[in-house]
Amino acid sequence: MFAIIDNLLPGGAAGASSGGGGGGSIMIVCVAIVGQQNNPLYLQSFTGADEALKFHYIVHCSLDVFDEKVSNPKKAGANLNDTFLGLLYPTEDYKVFGYLTNTKIKFILVTSDQDLREIDLRNFFSQFHGAYVDAASNPFHVPGKRIISPAFADRVSTIVKSFGSTPQP
Amino acid sequence: MAPAMRPGDAAFAAVEHVNAELFTLTYGAIVRQLLTDFEEVEQVNKQLDAMGYNIGIRLIDDFLAKSNVTRCSEFRETADVIAKVGFKMLLGVTATVSNWNNDSTECSLILEENPLVDFVELPETCQGLHYCNILCGVIRGALEMVSMRTEVKWVRDMLRGDDAYEMRLKMLDQIPEAYPYKDDE
Repeated sequence: MFAIIDNLLPGGAAGASSGGGGGGSIMIVCVAIVGQQNNPLYLQSFTGADEALKFHYIVHCSLDVFDEKVSNPKKAGANLNDTFLGLLYPTEDYKVFGYLTNTKIKFILVTSDQDLREIDLRNFFSQFHGAYVDAASNPFHVPGKRIISPAFADRVSTIVKSFGSTPQP
Repeated sequence: MAPAMRPGDAAFAAVEHVNAELFTLTYGAIVRQLLTDFEEVEQVNKQLDAMGYNIGIRLIDDFLAKSNVTRCSEFRETADVIAKVGFKMLLGVTATVSNWNNDSTECSLILEENPLVDFVELPETCQGLHYCNILCGVIRGALEMVSMRTEVKWVRDMLRGDDAYEMRLKMLDQIPEAYPYKDDE
């Protein structure tokens, strides 16, 4: 119950005060989309503080891991075509997850340092992918340029707010 | 409403269907190309209307053949047929007719949903654009082929922040049948 209620609070206050490791509040800290040529298409942070630069840096570092994961597939053959790349690398307070679409668009999710269920993450990424596809289908969107649609930003906020509140079996 | 709804659904079932996303994306590409070619929003609006007119004059025959509607005795019936049968058959959505004026020569067609505008958001540079202006042209062209001169304009547009799509349909006059050959030749 606590996790669900925490998600409904606006990103800033709850996340900053509960910090790492505390009573199970799942905090998505930042989401980002990077294009084929590693050009940033969208970056949205959900903490109150203005840490955009730090997140740009984290996202930039994670791009190398994408290439690494793609060129060294793990032993199980199923991972070759998998869009969800899983945990890319852990930093001091954050975990970074990656998702690679077939068109080489990379989605990056930075969360606070707790254990997260893979099913929640996969769910999140597939909803996020859906929102991205709808935003990219806008005839006024130029592929390769930043996504400026406010409707997309709203959808992303909704998806982030409902993260982790999938009904428990 | 029931007798008017059924011909619409029957007509919808009788025609071939196309993938809605393909249709939406194609229309979006047309509008984008027009904006690149003409650059001025008013020009693009006029072009969309002209394109719609050309579609409408050809579409009316196809529509009348496939939908089996009877001759309309007055403009009210015409508006109803456009809203219930025409939109249903060609776009898969029904429109509602409302706001008649006293002479029954003007009315509003209101669309709650519009497949042309899925995924679309107007950027700041194109705020004057009537994205669906092609629909106005289609209706104008189609009605001209059945001897009615009309004026069709957008009143409310969801892309500009209103809550629905509303077209104002005004009948100007009936065009008398003109024979191509002079009587005394």
